[in-house]
Amino acid sequence: MKMTPPLLVLGGSLIFGVVLFVVVILPWATMTDQPSDIHRPRTALEERGRKLYVKNGCSYCHSQFIRRIDWDLGAERIAQAGDYIAEQPHLLGTERTGPDLSQEGGEHPDDWHMAHFINPRYVRPESIMPEWAFLGTENITALIAYKQSLGYKDADARMQRQRLWKPKSIEAYEKGTDGNVAWLHDLVPEPWRKLPNPYPTSQAGLTRGHRIYQSFCIGCHGPVGDGMGPAAPHLYPPPLNFTTLKGRGVSGGILYYQIMNGITGTAMPYFKRDLESEKIWDVGNYVAVTFIGETDANTEPRGIDASYEPADGEKR
Amino acid sequence: MELLREEPHGTTKAFYLSSAVWMVFGTLAGFTGAVQLIAPELLGNIPWIVFGRIRPIHTNAVIFGFVGSALIGSAHYLVPTLVRTPLYSERLGKITVWLWNLAVVLGTLTLSLGFSQNREYAEWIWPVDVIVMASLGLGFYNLLQTVKRREEEILYVSVWYIFGAFVFTAFIYFFGNAMWNPFTGSITGIPDGILAWFYGHGVVGLFLTPFAVAIAYYIIPITCRAPLYSHSLSLLGFWSLLMIYTHIGTHHILQAPTPTWLKVIAITGSIAMLVPVAAVLINLWLTMRGRIPYILGDTGGKFVLAGTVWYLLTCIQGPLQALPVVQRITHFNNWVVAHAHMGVLGFSGIIALGGIYFILPRITGRPLHSKFLADMQYWLVLLGMSGFFTVLTAAGLIQGHGWLNGETVYRMLPEIHPYMVLRLSVGILIVSGAFIGLYNIYMSLYGFKTGRKAS
Ligand code: HEC
Ligand code: HEC
Ligand code: HEM
Ligand code: HEM
Repeated sequence: MKMTPPLLVLGGSLIFGVVLFVVVILPWATMTDQPSDIHRPRTALEERGRKLYVKNGCSYCHSQFIRRIDWDLGAERIAQAGDYIAEQPHLLGTERTGPDLSQEGGEHPDDWHMAHFINPRYVRPESIMPEWAFLGTENITALIAYKQSLGYKDADARMQRQRLWKPKSIEAYEKGTDGNVAWLHDLVPEPWRKLPNPYPTSQAGLTRGHRIYQSFCIGCHGPVGDGMGPAAPHLYPPPLNFTTLKGRGVSGGILYYQIMNGITGTAMPYFKRDLESEKIWDVGNYVAVTFIGETDANTEPRGIDASYEPADGEKR
Repeated sequence: MELLREEPHGTTKAFYLSSAVWMVFGTLAGFTGAVQLIAPELLGNIPWIVFGRIRPIHTNAVIFGFVGSALIGSAHYLVPTLVRTPLYSERLGKITVWLWNLAVVLGTLTLSLGFSQNREYAEWIWPVDVIVMASLGLGFYNLLQTVKRREEEILYVSVWYIFGAFVFTAFIYFFGNAMWNPFTGSITGIPDGILAWFYGHGVVGLFLTPFAVAIAYYIIPITCRAPLYSHSLSLLGFWSLLMIYTHIGTHHILQAPTPTWLKVIAITGSIAMLVPVAAVLINLWLTMRGRIPYILGDTGGKFVLAGTVWYLLTCIQGPLQALPVVQRITHFNNWVVAHAHMGVLGFSGIIALGGIYFILPRITGRPLHSKFLADMQYWLVLLGMSGFFTVLTAAGLIQGHGWLNGETVYRMLPEIHPYMVLRLSVGILIVSGAFIGLYNIYMSLYGFKTGRKAS
């Protein structure tokens, strides 16, 4: 084969044309433009937030599609092509330095996001996400509106839940400590309320609890558990002051349930995806021993002791 | 005008100096990003270097500024030399250089101000795209005119690759940036993802790769003083690269809801990439069989040889990580960042440097300012690259396995922290290499001392 400039240029262009047709134009022309079951148009404010997301390169750290193999944020719904029909430019992303955001809407109330965008370390102490305070409150509000729309109708349903519980939690908070604690605990299912922490307090367990507290809770509940972490000024109702729980009938089960499930409407997130069973018991007991000053660890009913427990109780 | 002064090989010289400057700037930008992944608050709350902006500044500065300038600069030397005809117009060449630099400067500034199209390597906004297209078009025209006036009838394989690269880069850049949509630079929905990765993959496979391969095809036979092993292999490698590489962009978004038939094309095509890669490497390595000491004795040749080894590693890893079973673990994490540095720095970047060091003495008529400094840069970049590969691959595996096992992204952050620190430390080697390179290239071009005699 003798290579000449016309052959190179025309041959190259021909190959390019054919391939462009097969791998770009064909999918473009044949792919569905039908919206998926959850799709809805975005509002003007949400669009504005999306532009900020594009301008500031959020997509280098956050993907926006859920795969079959995912466990983290949004894993309840696997992505479909119909979710993306209005995306321009696409924000699929290729890296997860931070979690996927395609179903972020309604995961947290707006005040959590405000604190998080001002400084992610306020609510997520080990985060490496940049601070976005420089965008200004107005822009952050738009960004939050966009975040809360991610997941479209699924997100709207979650946001409805946040909006339902937010006023109730505020009302309870404004009733004062007794009223607030009663409200918080009444919502915990009965069996959990009565459940003591079945495991004994140990130095090792407290050390682990301390470490978890520092990686997850300190920004809100503060280093001494008084609810005065750096995020506090941005959150309403503010993070709970644990010391007020003393003598108010808190159980290991309540602590476990609240940490596992979070308190929708308030900034208190659920931790069931981040922490598995032992870690939740450990941090709950750490809070009980260190800040509340009373613990029901290893009191009855506690079932048969687990095999690893030190042999000091009666049941063996 | 002084900037457009015509001098023999002025275009190539100006491209080389730009490349050296952009290498320093680009690696510093990467370094800044790496700092933020360790200590997000260390550099303060400065909008224009926030991670989401410094990252595209880094990637575009190294791809187009550092590697791109060096490769296009070498093309402006290789084509005239290989067809035994002076460059059609050095003035046009200088305009090409300045437009190219203008694009990188404007692209950097606009990104830092928050103007971005947000699709990887297509972030620069429309006006910058126009400048890039103009520069590419001028370069193409200039070289085409040179070839039309050629003395040498037969076109050597490097010339094919250079023309292939120009034609494909221009097309890919135009379509990939959806330049008919100036305000968003994109189309809509999942097809936009497909188009964007058709482009993103094209940037590395049809811009960087063919230029780098062209340089390797030129330098290796000369330094090892042997004729090229096979003409047929060259043909096979060239046409199969153009045919296969173009198809496989969707392997970047394999797990997204793209059509299944397209995924099949992307995966099979990725495996078929072994054909063009093997054709090139077998051809080059059989050319140098038994003659490696000659190559190692030449500063530029040494870089090129190392680059071909990284090419092999990148292109063994590439097809593997296109397999769905492997991507379950490797996608979305630092494994891909390791691959990216291996391809762009290890392969095309190191060959780009090799081209500079091989060609510089031939266009200045003087030996390099310092062979020692060039050797030092060689080792710094090579060590840095090996370190990057090891550290980032390890971090990626840790992330990938953790996630697959149900850990949240947040839980894995402390796990990769030590690796991010190591990456930063290793990055110092590459940044130092960039500074040394700038000094050496500047002095070789404009220094009065001719440095130590090559021994
Ligand atoms: C350096 C990478 C990085 C960049 C850039 C980045 N993020 Fe994040 N993001 C993270 C990490 C890491 C987390 C997980 C820890 C946390 O919650 O802060 C996160 C978490 C989040 C969360 C909370 C998810 C949840 O519910 O737990 C939201 C919302 C978010 N980012 C939005 C954004 C937006 C909007 C931008 C752009 C303005 C952005 N991020 C830019 C790294 C990044
Ligand atoms: C983003 C801020 C935030 C973080 C992080 C956070 N909390 Fe909370 N927490 C709150 C808020 C707000 C409340 C509820 C205040 C109210 O309604 O009065 C709350 C309530 C609680 C309660 C309810 C107590 C009760 O008696 O019902 C517990 C227990 C608790 N947090 C423990 C934790 C633990 C343990 C962690 C870390 C694993 C943690 N929190 C992290 C904000 C936070
Ligand atoms: C000239 C040499 C270099 C080249 C060609 C290069 C190229 C690249 C490319 C192509 C990417 C994109 C990766 C992807 O999207 O998967 C990238 C990302 C990155 N590079 Fe470099 N790089 C170089 C040097 C450096 C140096 C010296 C550092 C600093 C220590 C660095 C730090 C980074 C960081 C932090 C990212 C972002 C990774 C992320 O998003 O997690 N790079 N680089
Ligand atoms: C034989 C060839 C190759 C194949 C099959 C291949 C395959 C792949 C695949 C599958 C990915 C996506 C990984 C993921 O996201 O999970 C990828 C990413 C990448 N490749 Fe390659 N690769 C090849 C060669 C190269 C070469 C030669 C270069 C550089 C010149 C390169 C540069 C990159 C870059 C920069 C990325 C990161 C893109 C991003 O996410 O930002 N690759 N490659």
